[in-house]
Formats: sequence, C-alpha cells, structure tokens
Amino acid sequence: MFAVGRHAVLLAWTAVTLFPIYWMLMTSFKHAGEWVTWPPRWVPHAPTLENYRAVLAPGTSTFELGRQTLKVLKPLWDSLLVAGVSSLAAVVLGSALAYSLARFGTGGARYPYNLLSIRMVPPIVIAVPFVVYYVTLRLLDTYTGLILIYVATSLPYVIWMMLAFIDDVPIELERAARVMGASRFRVLGSVVLPLVTSGLVVTFLFVFILNWSELLLAMTLTNTEVSTIPITLNKFQSANEGRAYGPQAAIGTIATLPVVVLGFVIQKHLVRGFSFGLIRK
Amino acid sequence: MAGVRLAKLSKTFGTTRAVREVDLVIPDGEFTVFVGPSGCGKTTTLNLIAGLEGPTSGDIYIGDDRVTEWEPRDRNLGMVFQSLALFPHMSVFDNIAFPLRIKKVPAPEAAARVVAVAKTVRVDHLLDKRPATLSGGEAQRVALARTIIVKPAVFLMDEPLSSLDAKLRVEMRTELKRLHATLKATFIYVTHDQAEAMTMADRIVVMNGGLVQQVGPPLSLYNEPVNRFVAGFFGVPAMNFVEGHLADGRFTAGPLRLPVSLRGPARPVTLGVRPEHVRVTAEAQGWPATVSLIEPMGDETLVFLDYGGPASLVAKVSAEEAIAPGQGRRIAFNAARLLFFEGESGGRIAP
Repeated sequence: MFAVGRHAVLLAWTAVTLFPIYWMLMTSFKHAGEWVTWPPRWVPHAPTLENYRAVLAPGTSTFELGRQTLKVLKPLWDSLLVAGVSSLAAVVLGSALAYSLARFGTGGARYPYNLLSIRMVPPIVIAVPFVVYYVTLRLLDTYTGLILIYVATSLPYVIWMMLAFIDDVPIELERAARVMGASRFRVLGSVVLPLVTSGLVVTFLFVFILNWSELLLAMTLTNTEVSTIPITLNKFQSANEGRAYGPQAAIGTIATLPVVVLGFVIQKHLVRGFSFGLIRK
Repeated sequence: MAGVRLAKLSKTFGTTRAVREVDLVIPDGEFTVFVGPSGCGKTTTLNLIAGLEGPTSGDIYIGDDRVTEWEPRDRNLGMVFQSLALFPHMSVFDNIAFPLRIKKVPAPEAAARVVAVAKTVRVDHLLDKRPATLSGGEAQRVALARTIIVKPAVFLMDEPLSSLDAKLRVEMRTELKRLHATLKATFIYVTHDQAEAMTMADRIVVMNGGLVQQVGPPLSLYNEPVNRFVAGFFGVPAMNFVEGHLADGRFTAGPLRLPVSLRGPARPVTLGVRPEHVRVTAEAQGWPATVSLIEPMGDETLVFLDYGGPASLVAKVSAEEAIAPGQGRRIAFNAARLLFFEGESGGRIAP
C-alpha cells in the first residue's frame, strides 16, 4: 500500500518535472498557428520541421525571423567549446586541489569553507568589475575570457564534490601502494584515479550543465564574437524578435540534446556518483 | 635482512605527544610485537618506521642506513594494514602483482611469481576474484601474499588480524608464526591484544602514553613486570591489585597483614598477585573470605573472594574444586610470586 502511494507520488512529480520539456519538444514541431491556442494542442496537429529549418538554415524557411541572427550553429559551437573546455579545466584543477586539501590539509581545516564562500557571492556582483578588468586585459568578448571566468566559478563546486569522493578512498590504500614502492604520482594514477572515476565523470557533468546554461556572465562579458546558447535563447525575449515560440522551442530542444546525450553516455557512473556522501559517514 | 633501530624518536601531533623519545633496537630476524592500549603510540611508531609519518625529532635506522627522511618506497619494507588495504578495483592477481609491476618485473616472470606466492598462502584458486568477494581469512592471506612477494627485509603489521573472528584469528596467529620462521625476516607487529602479543612475539615492546614501558620476552614481562601498568596489561583475568600500606616490614590492607622484606620508609604501596597465585583453602592458615561469584571456564574456575579489603580478589582454581557462592573459605598467597608496586609511581619495588 505504502509502495503504491510512493510510486504514485514519484510518478506525479516526474510528470510535473518533465512537462516543460515535453511542451518545448512539442512546440518545436508545431506550425506558427498552433504555438498559442486555446484549448492547447497537446501534440502538433501536423508536425513540421519548419522551426528547425528556421534556426539551422535561415533563408530556407517560409517565415522570416528578422534581422537578428537566430542561427543556432554558431552559438551551439561556442557553448560546446566554452562549457566543455572550462568544465574540463575546472575538473582537472579542482580535483588536484581537492586531493591536496583532503590528503595534506592544505590551507588549514577552514580553507574548504572559505572556498565555498566564493559561491555565496551573486554573479552580478563580480560581473561588472570583471567587465572593467576584461576591457583592460582585452578579454572581453573572447573565448578565453569566458572560459577563465567559468573555470573560476566552477572550481568551488568541483573541489567540494571531489573532496567527498577522495575522502571516500581509504588512505590506507594509498599508504599500502607507497610502501610497495609507488611514487606519489603512481599512487594517484593506479589507486586514486580509478577509484574516483565515477566522481570525476559526475562532477564534470554537473559543472558542464552549469556552464552550458549560464546566462548572466555570458551576457555581460560577451558581445558579438562569442555568443552562447542561453544568450541566443534570451534574445527571443526581446521585442525585435516578436513571439517566435516555435524556433525558440527548437533551439531549446537542440540545447537540451547534448546534456541528455552526455547523461546517457555516462549513465553507469551517474548512479554510483550521485549516491556520494549518502553511503557511510 | 635488516634490523631496525629507533633513536630518541618522537612524534607530536599538535599538542599530543604520541611518541616520546623512544630508544629501541629491534634485532634482525626477530618477531617483535608492539602492544599497548589504543592511543599509546604503537601505530604511530610503526608509521614512523614505515615512513608514512615524519618524526618530530629522533632518527630511524634500518640495517646500516639512517632512513629518517627516506620515502616509504625506498625503505625495503612490507606492510600489512589493519584494513588490509586491498585495492578494490583490481583482481586478486593484480593486487599481488602490484609491487612487481611497480618494480618493472617482466610480465611472464611476475605472473610466475604471483602464482607461486599465491600457492604458499593458499589463495591460488582466487586469482581472478575481486577483493570484495573474498572471505576475511582469504583477504588476509591475499594481503600477506602481496607483502611477501617482494621479499622485504622488514615486515610491518598493524593489527592485521583484528577484522577476523576469534577462531580464524587464532589460526592466523599460527600461520604468521610459521611465515616468520620460513622468511626469517624482521617482523614488527602492532596489536592491542595481549594474548596475540604473548603467543607470537620473540620480544614484546609495551607502550603507554607514547613511552616504552618495558621490552622483553613474553614470559619475562609476565613474571617480572617493571611497573603496575605492564603487570596489569598481561594475563586474563588481570592481576589482582590490592592498595595498602607498607610499614615496619609489614604490608597492611584491611584485614590482610603480610610480612615482607621490603625496605624504605613507610608509604602507600600496591600488592600485585596473579589469580593463579591465589590459593583457596579450607585450612586454618590464611585469611577468611567469602566466595561472592564463580566463573567456570571449563578447565579452571575463577573465584571472586571478599576478604574485607578494598576490592575482591580473583583466584584461579581447578575446575574439580567444589566451590559455590556464599561459602566461606580461606585465602593464601604464593609468597614467592607476590609483586609490590610504589603507590604513587606504580614502579615495581625490587624485592
């Protein structure tokens, strides 16, 4: 009885969470006439690829989307590059930092908390000073500039997540390897890394999604050279574009795909990884 | 082969002095057991020898080399940890082969050596398994195999048997002794279990509060403890201690009055007597006492006796003895086996 009730609640909650995604997916296949109707159309009457054509290959579409570049390929590439490189760099650097915090107590017992406090600062607070820095450093509207700030904002997450995973590796395993003749680097490569692989993968996915969907800093620190997916989506809110729900939904769907694909690829690590900290301790 | 020498070795964690000026010579090929209550500094001393911790002061010598600052991997040691520390992501084979791979032993030779050493500790049928699927005894033997495969000069063992059940632990004790006899290497073994120390050691090092209390063969520690701590640490049940007073060649504690040949001023002293040296008699000699409790052990029976002194005395008597709680008996001591300790310092008073 309890199990039935629990399943009902979980199913209902799943429906609530997935509904916006479902709606976006459906809208992306709808003709302009069906975007806003009452009563709503739960499935497109006559599914069309028109919206995808509009954002992927402008000019071939039957409706014109205005002068703003609603092309999705450039932002998609920019987002992949910026989120991918910054997340990778953050995971590499952050794991090394987490290891030194976990095993050598670098910076003292309170240091991890100080690092975490970086995340307590609202991004808008640092956004404006960074514009000033970036103008001077010629980093405004560049890949390097955006990647650098994403690495910086991701590091506290990476450090904290990897700290939990590394703490789960018994220190005696490392000591045993060292007594058996392994160098510090060999210990990392043969013992620690294999045991925290799931953690690394999950941490990467976590910060990748974070950076993939980041809007505020991207908007502030870029202009025309670099333009990520969230910025493109945001442009639909401007008066210039009108209410192009269909193409917007198409971009949204395209933007969701890499994350979903990534999730499937690393699925076996997810279950293990997301249970971190819940077992033992 | 190599002995180990510690010279004024100290280790301080924050304000805790875990190891305090330990001077110790561990001869080559000897089975030495460090024993003491938890927090006594025995594991820290072992980690210092292994190089897993750096000493605050003092020096460590292995063989003729001063190794104080050496990395663990340069010290030619083998170590078995309390948790065994088998690598969970490797098969048993890879676990045992790990030290060989680090030393870049060619694969065919390594494989042959792994199989050979696995046979000697009887885990050769488990080579494909993961450590998580092994029983306690099997995991124990795999950990041993991984340690002995490179034939280190010195073996360090940190409570390696503590995760096993009682029966297996006794079996493994024998197996370790046999291993020591075969390898003829220096064994340094840490335990808090006095029975393990007594049964396995050539020499025991008793530690307490970071200090070495006494070093010696098991029986000499048992019979000739230097202080009350060592006396109380060995033996089950523990030695009886009777707090009393020494004056005019006589030890007094409640109704107990014993003539003794101890010199020195009148002062509080403690009498120590092992349960097997307390005689329970029905004769006229001795002090009257009431049996308050008995604990039959099968071969022997422990008898708790109230004699009117500060605490009850435990005696070990033959199981044949017809004895029951509430009975009145007399107690007498094996005068030659009585030990006396200073009331203040706990140091043994030489007879």
